[in-house]
Amino acid sequence: MTDPCQRPMSDGVLLDYWAGDLPDGERNTVEEHLFACADCSARLQQIAALGAGLSTLARRGRVSGIVSRGLVNRLQRDGAHVRMFWLAPGETVPCAVFPGDDVVVTALRADFSGVENVTVVVTGPDDSPFGRFDDVPVSETRGELLWANPAALLSGMPSMQLQITLTSTGAAPVELGRYVLEHSAATPHS
Amino acid sequence: MQVMVDAGDGDVARAVAARAPGHAEAAEAELYRRFAPRVRLYGLRHLRDEDEARDLSQQVMLVVIEKLRAGAIRDADQIASFVLGVSRTMTKDWKRLNWRREKLRETFLPASMAGVATLDAHLDLDHLEACLGRLADRERMVVLLTFYAEKTAREAGRELRLTEGNVRVIRHRAVERLRTCMTSR
Repeated sequence: MTDPCQRPMSDGVLLDYWAGDLPDGERNTVEEHLFACADCSARLQQIAALGAGLSTLARRGRVSGIVSRGLVNRLQRDGAHVRMFWLAPGETVPCAVFPGDDVVVTALRADFSGVENVTVVVTGPDDSPFGRFDDVPVSETRGELLWANPAALLSGMPSMQLQITLTSTGAAPVELGRYVLEHSAATPHS
Repeated sequence: MQVMVDAGDGDVARAVAARAPGHAEAAEAELYRRFAPRVRLYGLRHLRDEDEARDLSQQVMLVVIEKLRAGAIRDADQIASFVLGVSRTMTKDWKRLNWRREKLRETFLPASMAGVATLDAHLDLDHLEACLGRLADRERMVVLLTFYAEKTAREAGRELRLTEGNVRVIRHRAVERLRTCMTSR
């Protein structure tokens, strides 16, 4: 019908439906409603369009910030060129962007025993702020934190040293590691 | 055509079934305009592939229109349920229908049933990237795991050490923030 919806579904239900989080019975009910209701169908379309846009950004490597291992795996499975640099606490690692790279992921290793969340602070030359991530969940079993940046963004950066400090979040924060990235602006020969 | 646009779904289905000269084409186009996007959404949700979802919507609508023309749908007012039923059956049998898919591709498709634009065709991706960057880390991770990595709340929660309920709350909030950000420039 072209009439307005008499029983509009909540955005939460539409989101749960799209994400595959509804049990079969509820999913069937939602689908019955969606096929009969232009309004709710249009609202789901908006959610789906937003999701499609996010997928497009990810596939193009336009992802910044702390990411999960599952996300990196998915990027690699989809054919994105993910360049990874691994750093242990106290380590200095030279890094650069290579032709064809889509995403650069810095993997910070640390002992996360008893730690649930951390704060990541990144500073550039003269302690200038470069990035900060608060309340980031970490996994003790993985023992790593992944920081992603689009290669296109990094390739435009001048050579510089980046200091990264990892601290546990909580009443008594503990420093878990300091890391140094020596970023080179010159594109290495491949 | 305007009459069709204002009509209910059942009326449009009846007009297709009646095959009245000069009206059937407009009715079929209207039926397609209404239901093809819904079938495509259904296909995207279940097949997770934009091309396959588009193919599914075209095939489902061809079957529905054929059934209407043949008088095989008794209650035109139940057209939405019928389209959903065909969508479910076809999605379930999608792999077995490969041969038929190729065959149907070769059949005549009216211009009004031409492909639908990609879902994110009208999104400003630069703006969306900026909006994504403004989310809190957890929010950004949850929406990327949901929409890109196609993880359920339980799967995303396992990865981020959050409960399923927490993921749902964060996801809802993040999507609201993204939508607000996208509409305020």
